[in-house]
Amino acid sequence: MRFTKVVIPVALCILLLGFAAPAQRKGRYTKPQTTLPVVSPIDTDALKGLITQQRERPLLVNFWATFCDPCRDEFPDLVKIDKEYRPQSLDFVTVSLDDIDQLKTDVPKFLSSMKATMPAYLLNVTDPEPAINFIDRRWQGDLPATYLYNEKGEVVYKHIGRVNAAELREAIEKVVKKGDGQ
Amino acid sequence: MRAKNLLILFAALFVIAGAVLATGARAEGEVPAPPAIGATIDDFSLPDVDNKDRSLKSLAGKNGTVLLFIAVQCPVSNAYNERMAKLAEDYKAKGIAVIGINSNVAEDAAAVKAHAAEHKLSFPILKDPGNKIADRLGASVTPEAYFLDANNKLLYHGRIDNSRNAAQVESNDLRNALDSALSGKGIEKTEAKAFGCSIKRG
Repeated sequence: MRFTKVVIPVALCILLLGFAAPAQRKGRYTKPQTTLPVVSPIDTDALKGLITQQRERPLLVNFWATFCDPCRDEFPDLVKIDKEYRPQSLDFVTVSLDDIDQLKTDVPKFLSSMKATMPAYLLNVTDPEPAINFIDRRWQGDLPATYLYNEKGEVVYKHIGRVNAAELREAIEKVVKKGDGQ
Repeated sequence: MRAKNLLILFAALFVIAGAVLATGARAEGEVPAPPAIGATIDDFSLPDVDNKDRSLKSLAGKNGTVLLFIAVQCPVSNAYNERMAKLAEDYKAKGIAVIGINSNVAEDAAAVKAHAAEHKLSFPILKDPGNKIADRLGASVTPEAYFLDANNKLLYHGRIDNSRNAAQVESNDLRNALDSALSGKGIEKTEAKAFGCSIKRG
C-alpha cells in the first residue's frame, strides 16, 4: 500500500523529469556566438593619424602577426593588460602585419581565440617600410613590437620582442592618470 | 675560518654572476647593429645541410655574393621561395652567387635540406649554429639580404623587394642593387628594411 502511494508517484516524477529535462535544455540552447572580431584595414597615413591624433589618454600599440610565435605567446598578457587598463585609463590598439588575405580569417580567428576585444587593425600596404620608419626609424620591422605613447604622443616605452608584462605594467602605471581606477 | 670561507664563496658567486650577466643572454629582441654599408665582411665558415664546412670565400661569386637569411617555417620567407630560386638562377650566369643562411635554432640541417629540396632552392644553404653570423651581420628577420661585392664589401642590406605578395612587387630593391653593381653604377638605395619573421636565436 505504502509502496503504491509513495514509491510509484516518486518514480513517475523522476521518469517524467528525466524526459522533460533534456527537452527543456534543448529549448533553451542558444548557439555559441560565432561572430568574429572586426579587424579594420589601415594604411600608412591612417596609422600616422591614429598615432598622432590628439588624445586624452596614453596609447598602447602592439604590432604583431599570426605567423609570429612570440606575438602569439605574449597575447594573453596583452589581453589581461587591456582588460585591466583600457576601461578606465588607456587606449590600446593592435596592428597586425599579416597579409590582407587574412583580414577576415586567421587574424580575427586568433583574436577571438584570445578573447581580445581591443580595436584591431591590419596594416594594408604594399610596402611596409614607410609605416615601419614612421613608427621608429630604429625598428627593423621584426615582431612583436610594442610602443606606449603618452598623451602628448611621445614614446615613453618600447619593446621589440616578447613583452615583459610586469615591465609593461610598470610603464603604463607611470603614464596613466592617477585616480582613473588603477 | 668558516666566516672567511663563506666570504670567499660569496665573492666567487658574485664574480660568476657578474661574468654571466656581462657575457650572457641578450635581452630578447635585441639584435646587434648591422655593419655599415661599405664595411668589409670577414670570411667565415659554416656547416652546410650535409654538415660539411663551407667558407664564404669558397662559395663567393666572382662579381659578388648575396647572403640570404631564410627560414623553413616562416610564411614570409616561404612566400619568397620562388623569387629566391629565380634570383639565384638569374644571377649565377652573371657571376653573383647566392648563399642561404638558416640561423633559426629550431630548424635543423635535415629540415633545411628537405625544405630546400621541396621548394627547389638550388643555392647552397648553411646552418648558423649559435646564430654567430646572424649576430655578426645584425640580421633580424627572414628573409633578409646582404649583397657583398667581389671583395666582400657590403653594398646593400635589407629586403628582397617591397611585398611578400609577388603580384604586388613595385620595388625590386635587391635586384636593382645587383644590376647597378654589375653595370658599374652606384646603388641608389643601399638599405631597405627587411620585413619578415624574427630569427629565432639560440
